Amino acid sequence: MSGWELLAQVPFVHPLTIPPGARMWFFLPLAFCVAVVYRATRARSTEGLLRGALITFLNIVVGMAAIAIAAYGLHQAVLYFWP
Amino acid sequence: MQAGILAWILPGAGHYWLGHKKLAAVFFAAISLPYLTGAAIGGVKTTLNPFLNHWLFLAELGVGSYTAAGFFLANSVGGIDARETAAIIRRTGAFSALSPERQNARESQIVRYVSYYPSADVAQIYLAVAGLLNLLAILDAIARAQTGGEPVFYHELATAAARRAEGAA
Repeated sequence: MSGWELLAQVPFVHPLTIPPGARMWFFLPLAFCVAVVYRATRARSTEGLLRGALITFLNIVVGMAAIAIAAYGLHQAVLYFWP
Repeated sequence: MQAGILAWILPGAGHYWLGHKKLAAVFFAAISLPYLTGAAIGGVKTTLNPFLNHWLFLAELGVGSYTAAGFFLANSVGGIDARETAAIIRRTGAFSALSPERQNARESQIVRYVSYYPSADVAQIYLAVAGLLNLLAILDAIARAQTGGEPVFYHELATAAARRAEGAA
């Protein structure tokens, strides 16, 4: 086995396989990172940053869920009125 | 400006240079985690390739050192560079002129490095978001360097208060 072939067995070179059903759950850690960075850009120090980031994280998740529900409702309405 | 360049090279480095060491650690963790997760899930061969997805690579360039290292790795692994990888996946260029047998042989050389749905989707979203988040961190580092460490939000509040005081006087 060559050096490059050995390297191909490690992360960053050989892609990982994730189950199709797990795709949506990857949204949560990413949304938390977005919330942390956003709150950090508005913070004087790290005091209270975690609490603020959690509130922003919840806002993002609830907002995205509301948009998804509204889009689903619109989709169903279009199918109902224009079958 | 140095703070912005440092923040571009490594997430959080600009804030560290300005003396905000805890904030620097927060930026480093919150940007490195999604970037490295995306690169690990998708593999560098297809996710850090400017010849495959220009816009994705532009977003990834928000984190300079990681993208440079990933691009170097993508160019080196498997003995096929990034440009040729894109040609094989898109079946264009010199690859399209090869015989079917040679095309199959070239494809089999890169197939273990290529990510597919759903991994490719997740990897691209993570990498693009991490790169764009670091742009936010770069702008914040530049702003803090100009305002003596205050984030723009508080600096604007202080400026508005000073204007109101001037107006009242």
